[in-house]
Amino acid sequence: MSEIPDNLSYTKDHEWADLQDDGKVRVGITDHAQDALSDVVFVELPDVGSKFVKGDAMAVAESVKAASDIYAPVSGKIVSINDKLEESPELINESPYDFGWMVVIEPEEKLEGLLDSNSYREVID
Amino acid sequence: MSNKRTPLFNHHQSSGAKIVDFAGWDMPIQYSGILAEHKAVRENVGIFDVSHMGQIFVTGPETVEFLSHVTTWDMKRQTKGDCRYCHILDEEGHIIDDTIAYTLSDEKYMLVPNASKVDDIYDWFLSNSNNFKVNIDNLSENYFCLALQGPEAPRLLGQHLNTSVGSFQLVSDGETIVSGTGYTGEKGCEIIGPLNEVVTHWEALLEMGAVPVGLGARDTLRLEKGYLLSGQDFDGTQTTLETGYSWVIDWNHDFIGKEALLKIKNTNYSKLCGILIEERGIIRPGNELSYEGNPISKLTSGTLSPTLRRGIGMAYTELGINDSITVKVRGNNLNGRVVRMPFL
Repeated sequence: MSEIPDNLSYTKDHEWADLQDDGKVRVGITDHAQDALSDVVFVELPDVGSKFVKGDAMAVAESVKAASDIYAPVSGKIVSINDKLEESPELINESPYDFGWMVVIEPEEKLEGLLDSNSYREVID
Repeated sequence: MSNKRTPLFNHHQSSGAKIVDFAGWDMPIQYSGILAEHKAVRENVGIFDVSHMGQIFVTGPETVEFLSHVTTWDMKRQTKGDCRYCHILDEEGHIIDDTIAYTLSDEKYMLVPNASKVDDIYDWFLSNSNNFKVNIDNLSENYFCLALQGPEAPRLLGQHLNTSVGSFQLVSDGETIVSGTGYTGEKGCEIIGPLNEVVTHWEALLEMGAVPVGLGARDTLRLEKGYLLSGQDFDGTQTTLETGYSWVIDWNHDFIGKEALLKIKNTNYSKLCGILIEERGIIRPGNELSYEGNPISKLTSGTLSPTLRRGIGMAYTELGINDSITVKVRGNNLNGRVVRMPFL
């Protein structure tokens, strides 16, 4: 059974978004997504400073068998990326909500229209 | 129509397998994960349920003559207990399928075609058998096939069936056939027998430590060794010569497709080449291959090599070994070169 922390927001495309105290949003993929993808062997992250509109493909996570686009859960600018994923993409499998985070976005809008943990659970059940 | 399942389907599910459709079968693509399963086969021992593969039996006084006519190999060179990898061609020399021919006796052969090609091969054999005294039986529904592969496979085979088998040899006991064959490049065997006995074999071999391996790792294992995937690396439009597998042809006998092959033998034609990527990134089937900036081909196979940690693939090109190429992946051009296969 997938782990779905209560304190995060989710997209139906299986990204999680964590609104931090400074107003920035940390983003990764859910436990369900990493399990479906299985061994992540390659991650392509956006450049720091690049801008995305909510719903844009901003990153790619690849397993041996498939590539999966990661979509921006909110419009804004990339202010930080998880460099460790270049050498250790398996962090996404081992720790999808912590060490496997992907990017931090400085949002241009309020974080809204996302799912809470209960609604997300309904999406994947 | 619902998909076919092997008798091990429930075992696969309870082992945590992810199931996919493969040629009309519900088959496990992976259990614990492709990387771990791949490693198990390279370093220890893995077991594959490949019961979706076909078993076509050819019997009768002209079995050898018939099979020499419909395959690239002269079966007169086989003796009882030999296995031979060969191609089955159409009149134009195009590969219909690749297969292993098992010499059970001079008058009894078993062929193992790919799951998606069993009906085609059976029909092709029937339609070309009029001048031969043979019986052709498609018994694919009656037999299981398990592949036990990896450096520890011979030890497990010895413990399990108290037998051993040489490379491309077979031993049989009643209806059970063990052959020194596989699709991973490792030591090991394939066990073929009556369908109702598969669960016993599977459970015993797992108990001895064989790791269940799915079709995902089967693909990465075979691609590292440069083995062809039916329907992907040849799709009915390429000849044996273009695949670079001319060693499966015995030119000293007549066979369907030979005349067509002779016509192109001394011409320039594209050949299936190994593609090795020299930077981070994974290549996939269908990715565009370019030389000096110009698109020249598309990859027939492509993956991450779990052993080399590099992108590897295959494509039909006229390029030479070590030529620099690029492969376009989601708009980015990854640099690599043409290499001799196998990759490993």
